Amino acid sequence: MKRRLNSKNPASLIIGLVVLAILAIAILGAPLLAPYDPVAQNAAERLEKPSEKHWLGTDRFGRDILSRTLHGGQTTLLSSLLALCAALAIGLLVGMAAGMFHGSALDHILMRIIDVLLAFPFMVFAMVIAGLFGTGLVHLLLAVVSVWWVSFARLTRSVVLHAKNETSYAAAKVLGASNLAIMRKELLPKAISPVLILATFELGTLILSIAALSFLGLGAQPPAPEWGSMLADGRAHFFQAPHILIGPAAFIVATVLAFNLIGEGLRDRLDPYEKLEL
Amino acid sequence: MKKLWSVVLLGLSLAVAGCSGGNSNTGNGSPASSSPAGSATQSEASPSPQASGAEPQELVVIGQEINASLDPVKPLTSSYLRNIGAGEALFKVNAGGEVEPSLAESATEVDPTTWEIKLRPEVRFWSGKAVNADAVIASLERSKSLDLQAQPFLNDLTITKLDDYTLQVRTNREHLPVPLNLSYYQTIIHNAEASHEDVATMDLTGMYKVTEFAPKQKMVLAINEDYWGRKPTIPTVVFEEISDEQTRVLSALSGRSHVTLNVPVSSLTQFKDNKEVYLSAAPAASTQTIYLNLSQPQLQDVRVRQALSWGADRDELVILAAEGQSTPVTTWLGSNPAYAEAKNAVYSQFDADKAAGLLDEAGWLKESDGIRYKDGKPLTVRLMTWGGDKALGEALQSQWTRIGVKAEVQHGDYSLIETARESGDWDASIEAWSTFGEEYAVLSGQYSSDGGANYGGYKDEETSRLLEELKKAGDPQSRHDLALQINERVARQAPVISLFPRPQVTAVSSSLQGFEEHFRQFENVVNANLTLTAQ
Amino acid sequence: MHTVLLRKLLEALLTLLFATLIIFALIRLAPGDPVRLMLGHPGEIAAQGTSAYDEKVAELRAELGLDRNIAVQYVTWLGRLAQGDLGTSIFTGKQVGSEIAARLPATVTLSLSALLVQIALGLIFGMVAALRSGKLADQLIRIACVALASTPAFVVGLVALALFAVKYGVYEISSDFSAARLWLPALTLGVLGAPQLVRIMRANLLTEFGKIYVSSAQSRGLDRKRVVRHAARNALIPLVTMVALSFAGLIGGAVVIESIFSWPGIGKYALDSILVKDYPVIQGYALVAVLMVVLIHFLVDVVYSALDPRIHHKGEAGREEKA
Repeated sequence: MKRRLNSKNPASLIIGLVVLAILAIAILGAPLLAPYDPVAQNAAERLEKPSEKHWLGTDRFGRDILSRTLHGGQTTLLSSLLALCAALAIGLLVGMAAGMFHGSALDHILMRIIDVLLAFPFMVFAMVIAGLFGTGLVHLLLAVVSVWWVSFARLTRSVVLHAKNETSYAAAKVLGASNLAIMRKELLPKAISPVLILATFELGTLILSIAALSFLGLGAQPPAPEWGSMLADGRAHFFQAPHILIGPAAFIVATVLAFNLIGEGLRDRLDPYEKLEL
Repeated sequence: MKKLWSVVLLGLSLAVAGCSGGNSNTGNGSPASSSPAGSATQSEASPSPQASGAEPQELVVIGQEINASLDPVKPLTSSYLRNIGAGEALFKVNAGGEVEPSLAESATEVDPTTWEIKLRPEVRFWSGKAVNADAVIASLERSKSLDLQAQPFLNDLTITKLDDYTLQVRTNREHLPVPLNLSYYQTIIHNAEASHEDVATMDLTGMYKVTEFAPKQKMVLAINEDYWGRKPTIPTVVFEEISDEQTRVLSALSGRSHVTLNVPVSSLTQFKDNKEVYLSAAPAASTQTIYLNLSQPQLQDVRVRQALSWGADRDELVILAAEGQSTPVTTWLGSNPAYAEAKNAVYSQFDADKAAGLLDEAGWLKESDGIRYKDGKPLTVRLMTWGGDKALGEALQSQWTRIGVKAEVQHGDYSLIETARESGDWDASIEAWSTFGEEYAVLSGQYSSDGGANYGGYKDEETSRLLEELKKAGDPQSRHDLALQINERVARQAPVISLFPRPQVTAVSSSLQGFEEHFRQFENVVNANLTLTAQ
Repeated sequence: MHTVLLRKLLEALLTLLFATLIIFALIRLAPGDPVRLMLGHPGEIAAQGTSAYDEKVAELRAELGLDRNIAVQYVTWLGRLAQGDLGTSIFTGKQVGSEIAARLPATVTLSLSALLVQIALGLIFGMVAALRSGKLADQLIRIACVALASTPAFVVGLVALALFAVKYGVYEISSDFSAARLWLPALTLGVLGAPQLVRIMRANLLTEFGKIYVSSAQSRGLDRKRVVRHAARNALIPLVTMVALSFAGLIGGAVVIESIFSWPGIGKYALDSILVKDYPVIQGYALVAVLMVVLIHFLVDVVYSALDPRIHHKGEAGREEKA
């Protein structure tokens, strides 16, 4: 049985970063790289299969899917990353606070809020947001972040509670480390890995939820290209022209894959325990 | 321990999966769906002993929606009840658009404001109670007082009993087509004294009786053995709701459903060369229309509104939004078969140049960014869409952008549009109202200043004058002419922009004989001539 | 331990109370009038003379108690709730409680079945991925998980239906709640939700494998199988949280899958009510959803105390309590 010291294989992390870099370049370079205007309709060329003229085919309005996917990436990635960071930040903070001051009034109040928000049916929440603030992508993100941070918080809190049993935590406390230092050195590294991994998959869910909520009016409004909306719009012609989903779907898979590799790669690096090979 | 867990879990999963063999139906008042005897007659494409489609004992009708209640005065309920052969009105409209007697035997216009209706003495409710004059009056009174949507048809009528099977109808206006008014599903005759809360107590007259009901899910019916007219031959009818449009299509393709309503136009190619299912695309008499808010500053100028109409390429819209399953209509009444001559009136073709000219004239000049400006403000139109009209909105947006209008599409659900209308903060919305019916009722609801569908606040003297004349008009010919005049006037004033009749596609199984295409298919699926053959 | 559980119960009740306030406030805040929506869907002939319409609207609002002060409405609702009455649907006129009760079994059955599939897949593939970490099997599993997590639910659902209902004809498309129709949506939902569990399981296991106690156990000569078993047991603890989160999400009504498979659960029911602003139904549905989740969390706490012996004994002081 081998035991490898410092067996933190950076391959995952590197591959993830590379894929992300390629995506970023393609998407940011959309104005230059996209062969057509993403909103230009052409009824004569609608629902065409991928060909030399249109590498990823055309949608129901005759718009070039490759161009729309590239341009749409900016909207999708920017907004979902923003939402993710916001939700992560809030979730980690609240989770750690609740976990550290476990048993206090703060913990109880936070847990009640978390429970209610977690249990509240998201569809209803989204509808309320749509009705109150209006439709559009920003409001969708608002709805999503308001509920998303909760799952991160809960997971963080559970990890923190688990970590409090570790000898290293007790040792740190005995040595007189401040709460903030403990949070940073002990709890955050432990919390980050499961939370990040959850986040990488949630990213895919977020992008897809944009697709699912579009009927309520939340999400990018036409004609703005956006991966989630493109999937939702493509549903009507799913059997007739399945190719119209390939463009946004492939990019979403690539994005989630990149983030997953990064997430799990980070986990491997940040995990204070050596990886044992059994 | 983990091993034990995984074994247990796997075992459970397999058990769940293994239950797929039988066709046992449990729970939720689901019916004893007859388990099909091995249907060896199915074609090779779908060898499915479970698909009860080949089973001639049961007619399966799938709709996008079924009723949420059994009470005919609740919204839309009576349309489903009539559709499935459970409820009937005094008259009905046939596929040719003519009014025929149904529960009533005949109707005679005695004088311009009086009609006499003779009822059939042999008609009974399911409970056995006679459908006589008292019962009919009670039913109609109940509908009038409890169902808001029945009021346009019943408000102008005063019905009294002459004798047990004769009614006298006095009308507020002259020459009101009373049989037409009494043919709408909102007027179906039901037992006003019965409780319509559940299957056992509900009481209607139709050829099929409701035996089971799960709201917005499933309704099962059996032949009414005491039916007054020609009895149907198929013993059971199952009416189910499948709200997802692709699933409805798959249901039709799987052979389980014999009639599938509301087939989305985007799925038409899936039925190509299919011998087992054919599509019936009877055009509906209802026009997809853009309603404009005339209080908005940029829409107050009639030239802007007309430009929006000239700048709408309806042929392209039909392709992009209706997959070619419709034809352009430039005036509102054009979708009504009786007014087909008005289909291309006023805006005879798509003319972007004319639109541009009108906008220039109105002071909206194109700037370098392609958008028209006036006094430093861009010409914007916020188009609100709901339901399945997102594509239509998107197509219009692109077309209007080409003539320099900054169009925004706001897609959401209908309540958002209602809220916007309440507050007045809206520019345009898309909706389709029925264009079939008595001309004055139909047109006044849309274009009179207090019309329920006059969302934009259209107030035009000429139109009001013509409507008044129509109200008093005597013979069908002058009514027809006046309606055309109003239709044209409205088109010129453009408070609304008509686009095309809403497509109505139904998938019908080849094993079903006797299906009748109807321009109001949503209330005319079940008839006594239907028979199922083993395929 | 009993005091611990009793306290958890109290917390659960408090959460519920808090939830009613939030539910009521949020739903009523959103604009949209259920009465108008019920009366005014376009289609047939527009009524003329909106005064009659407005009268009717006012009449119905008064009937439904919608014209009273909002605080009064809240208290009334709360009062009825205490008696177990969830109110009456504006749209159908039926008791919300019975309508939800009629549809809840379908959703719960689907959720539980899907959960089983998720757990089974999560355990199996998570374990394989952890044991073969870094190798080909792990990478393949990763790619499969990512692909599934990035695929919209409707794609998997519609393809499954097209395959099994149309092509092979082994699945019936109808709106029945039956055992025969359960397997496909459960499988679909389970497969769609499995990736997260797989990855978390893998991560937890790897962390456990790296822990000191494992190495010390191995150096003491304990055989590999038992070590793995111990690691798995510890890795399960945070997994239980994930499962609870997952179930909470499923109970919310897996609307898309219920819609595609025409499964008569509360998800679709809630969606329809949301679109017509049927307040009593939405409130009732939200409350039931919250209730179920609170219940699940309570059960999770019980399971935790069973799984982790440290809680079992330390109890009240609560330091070792799991979330």
